Amino acid sequence: MALDHRRVPGPEESQAPLLYAVPGQAAPEAPGREAAALRPLLARAGLLSQAEGSASLELGGGTKVLCAVRGPREAAEGRGRLLCEFRRAPFSGRGARPRPGPAAAARERELGLALQEALAPAVRLARYPRARLELTALVLQDGGSALAAALSAAALALADAGVEMFDLVVGCGLCRAPGPGGAWLLQPSEAEERAAAARLTVALMPGLNQVAGLLGSGQGGPPESWAQAVRLGLEGCQRLYPLLRRSLLRSAERRAAEADPPQS
Amino acid sequence: MAPPVRCCVPGERLCSLEEGAAGSGTYTRHGYVCAALAGCLAKTSEDGALPVVSVVRDAESQLLPDVGAIVTCKVCSINSRFAKVHILYIGSTPLKSTFRGTIRREDIRATEKDKVEVYKSFRPGDIVLAKVISLGDMQSNYLLSTAENELGVVVAHSEAGAQMVPISWCEMQCPRTHSKELRKVARVQPEFLQT
Repeated sequence: MALDHRRVPGPEESQAPLLYAVPGQAAPEAPGREAAALRPLLARAGLLSQAEGSASLELGGGTKVLCAVRGPREAAEGRGRLLCEFRRAPFSGRGARPRPGPAAAARERELGLALQEALAPAVRLARYPRARLELTALVLQDGGSALAAALSAAALALADAGVEMFDLVVGCGLCRAPGPGGAWLLQPSEAEERAAAARLTVALMPGLNQVAGLLGSGQGGPPESWAQAVRLGLEGCQRLYPLLRRSLLRSAERRAAEADPPQS
Repeated sequence: MAPPVRCCVPGERLCSLEEGAAGSGTYTRHGYVCAALAGCLAKTSEDGALPVVSVVRDAESQLLPDVGAIVTCKVCSINSRFAKVHILYIGSTPLKSTFRGTIRREDIRATEKDKVEVYKSFRPGDIVLAKVISLGDMQSNYLLSTAENELGVVVAHSEAGAQMVPISWCEMQCPRTHSKELRKVARVQPEFLQT
């Protein structure tokens, strides 16, 4: 057979790379983490110029979410509506393989509805008759608790857009390790989420102290275990609130400073 | 030196109802005035009444046409029963996305409503000052009215293409061809008249 000069020929024999792994250098065991430890959070509002409001939220360990709000635009209906879209970037997952089609699209639609359900009680839609607000949450990197990060980023983006709200919404994710005595962990990483027996996302409005949304799945154990998980999640939300509030204040001060330049 | 502005986030308690009244950008809950916007706090103290606490954002978030607001719109199509318009400005704030409105035949003039002809009041391309009378329901657009002396056509172009000059409340004249065209003209504000 004629040689194909256009391709770089690979080796005739190939072996699995694990054969070459030096024993004892296996991936270090992740140190047992404290159940209620929160990951470091970086939030920034007001970064996109083409959208009315925008916010970006990053959790330590590699979860990055970007949220943009457009509106209010004209709508045909009599009452105001909030339309949420939850999208994952193709490069957000761990592997290089693109996600399969319909299942992923259905899952994204479900998460978009969950976002809308959680944000609807916080937005004063009565002040926007005949208008629609379009919100898009884009997960740039999924390192665990992406929905919770998207919830917080969405609330920041809505506040940044000047939409009248009753309160901010803070989201927190939890998961339960498999096994009969598995404890609930706050803000799981991607590995913990994948191996989890049950997952839960809680959304809280801290100022009004009302739960805005709750989405859970899996085998959580007895009902008391779910109740304990919700309490843990709400506590986590209360601890995250000051950070989000500070980032929003900073962006509001930046806007005020840009509007009237300081005289001196 | 301007005093430092205090910024607030939605949901923050600003003051109790005894200390201040709720202004724009706030709402009341359980006897407290809470912020509804992320912006700067503004307190206007009136003599006698309670100070009004409001939250302002300098970049005005998109306004929505409210009932009774004066809007500037552009006529896009006319019919024997109504004229369809695009709402461009609310008051003096431009809108980022246009809203659609309708001016019905009976809302064009205040007097002799049944003798009105839409063709003799508006033409496509005219800039019209109108007032919002209704937000409309499911299928219809905003309902506007020009049934006042100060409302009506402000800028119109003649068939020759030149901008016309208003002569009376129902006629405009083209400066190039001197032909008169019928429009429902808005009364010119006194400060813009050159006499």
